[in-house]
Amino acid sequence: MKAEVLKQGIAVKKHKTSEWHSYELVGFWALRLTLVLVLFILGIIVFDIVSKGAGVINWEFLTQPPRVGMTEGGIFPAIVGTFYVTLITIAFAVPLGVGAAIYLNEYAVQGKFTRLVRMSVRNLAGVPSIVFGLFGMAVFVKIFGFGPSLIAAGFTLGLLTLPVTVTASEEALRTVPRAYREGSFALGATRWQVVRTVVLPRAIPGILTGTILGLARAAGETAPILATGAAFFLPHLPDSIRSQFMALPYHLFIMSTQHHAISQVRPIAYGTALILLVLVCLLNLAAVLLRKRYRERVAKGL
Amino acid sequence: MMSTNAKVTIEETRIQETAKHGIGKLNKSIENEYCEVKAENLNFFYGPVQALFNVTVKVQEKGVAALIGPSGCGKSTFLRVLNRMNDLIPGTRLEGKVKIHGKNIYAPNTDVVNLRKKVGMVFQHPNPFPKSIFDNIAYGPRIDGLKNKTALTEIVENSLKGAALWDEVKDRLNEPALALSGGQQQRLCIARALAVKPRILLMDEPTSAIDPIATQRIEDLVRNLCNDYTIIIVTHNMQQAARISDNTGFFLQGEMIEWGTTSNIFTNPQDKRTEDYITGRFG
Amino acid sequence: MTAITEKAMRTIFTLCGLAIILFLVGILYILFSNSMPGLTELGIGPFFAADRWNPGAYGEPTYSLLNMIYGTLMVTLGALIFAVPTGVAAAAYLAEIASPWEREVFKPIVEVLAGVPSVVLGFFGLVVLAPLIARTFNLNSGLTALNGAILVGIMALPTIITLAEDAITAVPKEYRHASLALGGTRWQTIWKITIPAAFSGITASAMLGMGRAIGETMTVLMVTGNMVARPESFLDSVRTLSAGIAIDIGDVVFNSTHFHALFVAGLLLFLITFLVNLLADILIQRKPEVNK
Repeated sequence: MKAEVLKQGIAVKKHKTSEWHSYELVGFWALRLTLVLVLFILGIIVFDIVSKGAGVINWEFLTQPPRVGMTEGGIFPAIVGTFYVTLITIAFAVPLGVGAAIYLNEYAVQGKFTRLVRMSVRNLAGVPSIVFGLFGMAVFVKIFGFGPSLIAAGFTLGLLTLPVTVTASEEALRTVPRAYREGSFALGATRWQVVRTVVLPRAIPGILTGTILGLARAAGETAPILATGAAFFLPHLPDSIRSQFMALPYHLFIMSTQHHAISQVRPIAYGTALILLVLVCLLNLAAVLLRKRYRERVAKGL
Repeated sequence: MMSTNAKVTIEETRIQETAKHGIGKLNKSIENEYCEVKAENLNFFYGPVQALFNVTVKVQEKGVAALIGPSGCGKSTFLRVLNRMNDLIPGTRLEGKVKIHGKNIYAPNTDVVNLRKKVGMVFQHPNPFPKSIFDNIAYGPRIDGLKNKTALTEIVENSLKGAALWDEVKDRLNEPALALSGGQQQRLCIARALAVKPRILLMDEPTSAIDPIATQRIEDLVRNLCNDYTIIIVTHNMQQAARISDNTGFFLQGEMIEWGTTSNIFTNPQDKRTEDYITGRFG
Repeated sequence: MTAITEKAMRTIFTLCGLAIILFLVGILYILFSNSMPGLTELGIGPFFAADRWNPGAYGEPTYSLLNMIYGTLMVTLGALIFAVPTGVAAAAYLAEIASPWEREVFKPIVEVLAGVPSVVLGFFGLVVLAPLIARTFNLNSGLTALNGAILVGIMALPTIITLAEDAITAVPKEYRHASLALGGTRWQTIWKITIPAAFSGITASAMLGMGRAIGETMTVLMVTGNMVARPESFLDSVRTLSAGIAIDIGDVVFNSTHFHALFVAGLLLFLITFLVNLLADILIQRKPEVNK
């Protein structure tokens, strides 16, 4: 059966070997070039933003609020706002995500219900971010009565990050060898004791990696916070979870499309884009490094 | 060793009896007898697949009982019935009775956690936790709620001494347990089980993953421990069973074919299949 | 005490699992319940009528999503035309040809690309790509469907590359060895054996890329010009469903017809992406096989 398919597949054309060889070479290079093209695109984007943004960034830019109708000054409130909102995102998504992963991997009997939960996770991951924005506006802002606020935006972003946290945590839990669980059970540990004393300590680096990846995603999202709490400009920093806030991605959005003097504030937009890019890349890098160290440790059996 | 020898004699009498009257009669005679571990007409299923067929056996206090048989014969399944580790596998089902110290451990009100504290287990592959040597041994007492450092230290020392590991590790109790050699890790796992103060120790091919010299040490240890604990050991190595056990049970395709003193099983097997298995291996 | 803790923890974790389902159902419910007043007030017809989305019009507001659907379709299709061949080719290279060190270097870079926030890509499209397109095609503005398609394609690339590479790697080695043993070259093996065998996985990667493209909001919002007129070509300005919601979401009056109409758009968007993702999911569950 397999051989038949293969014969059909190759359909043995009568080419000389050398001819095929050059074909192959050209083909390989064509594929290689597509990949290089992808990297080239990324390179251009990064180069453009770094080269034009780097000049703007100085101590004042990072530590001062915008001044003179946002045509001068820095982006400090946006940095703080993004920091605060991601904190709330973590507080929402991590316990829930890790909890769900523990349920799926440690407690549940695999069956219809777990399949349904996993399907929900995958579908939640595919929901467009603006739809999360609509949901957050209807539920957290209106029904729960939070108003546009850090907490409403943080919860909305938390929902959006939840699939990342669940998936990463489950993967981390799965790498914990069964022998550890058995060893613990055999000593008379209850299931929660097994999870708390043996499984979680082992899985925490992996869970942390997933958390950081989710955080990086949340920090860069704009659509979900458009109507749940992000503000154009605020004269002071948020003082409670019910305050509105400025955020880096939203700031970049308004500085590049909504501001009354767009070309004048272009450098500020570039600076904001660079800071956002650096922030997200650092978070991703941290996650990748953490994962690498973690995998090495797992490979060593420690 | 004295008590073991005494029991062996009783066992021998019983086996001769079995030879005369057959298993059925023997079952009746042990029906209400108290013993350490007793399984009666035990059937066990993984989903639709039956793994154990009508297993009836009793194990007396102290001494070593070995379970032998080809792989997949159900000996490990039987072992895991005794501390209900099979509960962790979804879809398993059990018929019949298993009594430990006279109590049916599959009765609905059984406290599985307590059962496992009384019936310790050592696994095929050494599985120390990725913690320090001290924390590994102290694990059981700690989940039991013991926090007192002095008491813990004492338990750790006694358990390690009991597992003949103390002299090798007493100066590095805070080093990771995974830094130990395979044989040391397995003795650590034995010490970890001892720290919970069990009365029965189940061992599931404890030496199959370690080298011959380490195996030798563990066999010596098992012989020592059987003065204080009832040990049930699964092994695929018949010489090992012959070396260390007082009684031996032969499993084949989920059935307990024969059970008797080790010397009888190996020198004078009653069942043709036991004989085939033993002679086949010895060549 | 232990027994109580044990029971409490089990309940907590089960509730966490249940919450995930409830969130998905909750999103669907909120979208439905908030679009129902709009649908009952106007009926379904006006949302697909030939006129425009103009909820702010004095006197007779109109709520047609049709042009936005066209916009979404154009941007998505354009993105896939660019991203699927590029992504699959790059994945084939990574999986079949690249040396280990190339993989070591390139794969994290692809991950970095996946991490670039959509608003940053949108910014790049706005300040770099738009002027370039305007100059090339002699347009007043480069804020066109083309611009959106290219950038959304870039956004979808990492998804496609990663998943297609997984699918290709999952093809059993025996297939390849059998082909090579029959005298096939590596090139023939890749195109005639490996890629066809990974076909369902590759299609799934394209579907998931498509899901991302349909739902992508900030990039298209920033680079497509957002005109609600019916687009004639890729050089026209378009507004997509997602961008349409994003534009109005900030200052819509709560519980107005306009508000409910936005949720109708959201519901539509949700259902489309849900179906696309579901299809991808089904394809991924299939084992690799040789398609004839």
